[in-house]
Amino acid sequence: MNNKGLGEFEELVLLAVCILEGEAYGVSVKREIEQHTGRSILLGAVHTTLYRLQDKGLLKSEMGGNSGKRGDRRKRLFQPTDIGMKQLRASQEVRQAMWQRIPQMRTDSL
Amino acid sequence: MSTENMSQPPRFWYAVLRYGLGNQFHEEFIGDLEEMYEERLLAKGKRYARFMHGVDTLHLLFGFSKLNINRYRNNFMIKNSITVAWRHAMRQKQSTVLNVLGLALGITACLLIGLYVQHERSYDTFHEKADRIYRINQPLIWRDWDIQFASTGPNVAIALQQDIPEFEALTRLLDFPSLTVRIQPGNADYHLMKENEFHAADSNFFSVFTFPLLYGNPETALVEPYSLVLTEESAIGLFGKSQVLGRTLEFKDEDGSWQMYEVTGVAANVPENSHIQFNGLMSMSSFPMVKEQQEWKWIWTAFSTYALVREGADIDDLQRKIQAIPPKWAETTTQRIFNQTFEEYCAGKEWWLYMHPLPEIYLSEQPYNHRFGPTTNPMLVWIFSTIGGLILLLSCINFMNLFTAKASMRAKEVGVRKVLGSLRRALIGQFLVESFLYVLVSTLLSLLLAYLVLPAFNTLAGKELSLLQFFVLPTFWLLLLTFMLGLGLFAGSYPALYLSGFRPAETLKGKLRQGFRGKGLRNGLVVMQFTISIGLVICAVLVQKQLAYTSTFDMGFARENILQIHNIDEVSAHAEVLRDKWLAHPGVTQVGKSFSVPPNVWEGERYKLDDPEFPVTEINNLRSDREYLEVLELEFLAGRNFDGDPLKDRHKIILNESAVEALGWGTADTYMEDSPIGKYVIQAFDDEHELEVIGVVKDFNYVTSHIRIDPLMILHYENNWFWNYRNGPQFLSMRVDPDVLRTTGGLPKLLDSFERDIRDIDASVLFDFSFVDERFEQEFRQEYRMGQVLNLFTFMALVIACLGLFGLAAFSADQRMKEISIRKVLGARMGQLFFTFSGEFTKLILLAILLASPLAWWGMSRWLADFPYHTPIHWWIFVTVGLGSLALALSTVTYQAVTIALRNPIDTLKDE
Repeated sequence: MNNKGLGEFEELVLLAVCILEGEAYGVSVKREIEQHTGRSILLGAVHTTLYRLQDKGLLKSEMGGNSGKRGDRRKRLFQPTDIGMKQLRASQEVRQAMWQRIPQMRTDSL
Repeated sequence: MSTENMSQPPRFWYAVLRYGLGNQFHEEFIGDLEEMYEERLLAKGKRYARFMHGVDTLHLLFGFSKLNINRYRNNFMIKNSITVAWRHAMRQKQSTVLNVLGLALGITACLLIGLYVQHERSYDTFHEKADRIYRINQPLIWRDWDIQFASTGPNVAIALQQDIPEFEALTRLLDFPSLTVRIQPGNADYHLMKENEFHAADSNFFSVFTFPLLYGNPETALVEPYSLVLTEESAIGLFGKSQVLGRTLEFKDEDGSWQMYEVTGVAANVPENSHIQFNGLMSMSSFPMVKEQQEWKWIWTAFSTYALVREGADIDDLQRKIQAIPPKWAETTTQRIFNQTFEEYCAGKEWWLYMHPLPEIYLSEQPYNHRFGPTTNPMLVWIFSTIGGLILLLSCINFMNLFTAKASMRAKEVGVRKVLGSLRRALIGQFLVESFLYVLVSTLLSLLLAYLVLPAFNTLAGKELSLLQFFVLPTFWLLLLTFMLGLGLFAGSYPALYLSGFRPAETLKGKLRQGFRGKGLRNGLVVMQFTISIGLVICAVLVQKQLAYTSTFDMGFARENILQIHNIDEVSAHAEVLRDKWLAHPGVTQVGKSFSVPPNVWEGERYKLDDPEFPVTEINNLRSDREYLEVLELEFLAGRNFDGDPLKDRHKIILNESAVEALGWGTADTYMEDSPIGKYVIQAFDDEHELEVIGVVKDFNYVTSHIRIDPLMILHYENNWFWNYRNGPQFLSMRVDPDVLRTTGGLPKLLDSFERDIRDIDASVLFDFSFVDERFEQEFRQEYRMGQVLNLFTFMALVIACLGLFGLAAFSADQRMKEISIRKVLGARMGQLFFTFSGEFTKLILLAILLASPLAWWGMSRWLADFPYHTPIHWWIFVTVGLGSLALALSTVTYQAVTIALRNPIDTLKDE
């Protein structure tokens, strides 16, 4: 499985969805990423990315129940699909392997 | 309840979102948006929350419509329209380029002119109290009392302050022609420089005007005597840095002593769009004579008086009130200086005061000039605005013409579309989208063009205009958008509504091709275009002729090759020695002394005749020696020049023609019967000495050709009946052999030796020189420049008109292809075909010439009537311009005509 087409931001969104475990919707994903990266993100960017990942089959979603909060409007809750998890893991492995090849970072050279 | 209300984000955005995205995402998005809104409301307040809410909504909207085009309803149609428009544009590349280029050129010209006009109108508007500041003007009491004069005596301000409570403050400026400055006192190797823009200002100057100080206190900087405020630029120029508080400078007094000034303030550089320009301001209290000698105070007209009016004051009422000031206050002056009461002095004329609003000073026709900075001719701004409007109109007409012409060839396409079920609305939309696209592309192109050519335009016009400042103005974009929508709608609506209304069966049968071509309208527009551009060309030719006329016409003296050495009064004891020494130079043919030189002969006095009936008359004075008149090569109509022996003729005078006429002694024709020679003119001041006339010179232009030649009296430079305000003649002028000027290094060598001669006498004297003709040219520099700019835009108008004609000719050639081919088959010759084809356009151009000529003649004769000396309007100008534009138009059409006439009839006829 190659991870062609998984951009940096897409990866961040995917990771955030995994972290949030069933509680992932627009605002919570945005908050999660902002908290970890320290950068400020527009809601629209999160939403478009969520939908793009869904179109690619890496995420799936369903409408949640009424919460009584936010004007009693339902949320769309996102979850990673199996392919999504696989892709995330693959991208992690690629990185890990490459990190290992950086001479200054090798433990034996210390 | 209130918190409940507070937490509601604006409903408006939900409607936008619903419209843009449909109901599909509505709920979850609005939920998210609302959640974030509440969060931001608590964290950063309502304004931020509302703003970010809008940003987020828009972002979602754009994000999702880009993600999936089909979700956005109109996108498909617009995309299709754009594709069709693109294909049409590509199919006829030539006409597309012509169309876009013509429009872009027009908009560019209009943008540049708009920038220029906007800049000219922005003068002096940066002062915070600009709407309450007025300059006090008075009549030009030295000459024509009907002319407004921008300068007053120093006591006008004092009188206004004392008598009229509506004035919050009055402040004065006093100008010095030139000053010599040194920055290292006592040091033999001091640094001499001429500072032209040093004025004296009252201590409240900075509280009236908004010239911010970088260093120093604006309240107190000009209070103490011998205080000096420099601009940052001159501070850096003099000291190499801008923080120079407490540093000292020395100015040379008229008597040759040095006066030290301390820098008490550094002002930000004066903006270019200020009518008051200065490098430095000295405190008015440094000049005790402004306060002393009360009797002078109303005729020492070297001051500009500015009044700050209290808020809410009735200006018309105030304007009436201040008229009481001169009769009440000027009496002492007229009594002491002229031995006259105020009424006698005015002699029926009115000494009015006029409050000139500050923002209008730069663009006013009167006063023609003032001492502290630039003014412009408001006519120029008016002319440019008109031309800008006309060029834009031209290019819009062009655009409409070509667009409708092209659209009319698409009747078949429209028919097919209708047969296939297209709604009329969609067809209208198609044409409108196309025309909007053209306008959009042209506008963007013109913005780029304007940005690129602006530096060149600035050099040409001598301005520092910038386009960037407008890019941040919402008004600019709004205006541009309105223009684009307006033109797009206007140009697109004609084909859109007309073509889309036809029945498909008829258009497909070809009925439209015969019936409708919009030809009448197009021909009318072509005539209008050429009327405008031919009219512009005629006007431009006449303006050029007038400029050339005023700057080159006979000044009445030989103004070429006259070199003037300044500051001779500072070495007055040695003037004779220098004169003899310089006359000995091989390249110098004559050297003369004078107190002033054209075009700056501004002194004047009042004179009367023995006849008590004769009114007191103002006559200008030029003080010189015999040789100076020879340098100028003045022509004597009667009498003689001064005698070589200075003492013999020192109290004699020479008049010019105008002065003789003003004194009632007739014109040049009557000198034979009744010679003015030997008559006496009497000073209407001081001891009332009698001056004998020994000569009359032909009128020569000693001020500027902007105004009529006034009476002039040439006094002997040693005449001791006049107040000597300098130590002696300020200038040594010499006629230089033109061969010396032409040889390389000839002039520098000459100047070098002159400079050395002066330095040998007194090293503190600044060496400065000028040429008479250069001085006169400076007067015309602005007009010359504007003439160039005018040429450029006239040329552009002509190019745009020709582009349009070229496009139309191409269209017409296309339409008449079959006709011409059939004519050819039937035996028509090349020449005949050519004339058939171009005759159509010739008629239009001839009509345009007939329309443009009287219009241009009428306009220009009115414009020229304002000049005291003006070039005649010759009939041949109209003929030449008319023939020229006809030739240009025909050569534009010729290419098409020749192509069509040369074509093999087979090619065009075979498909039927």
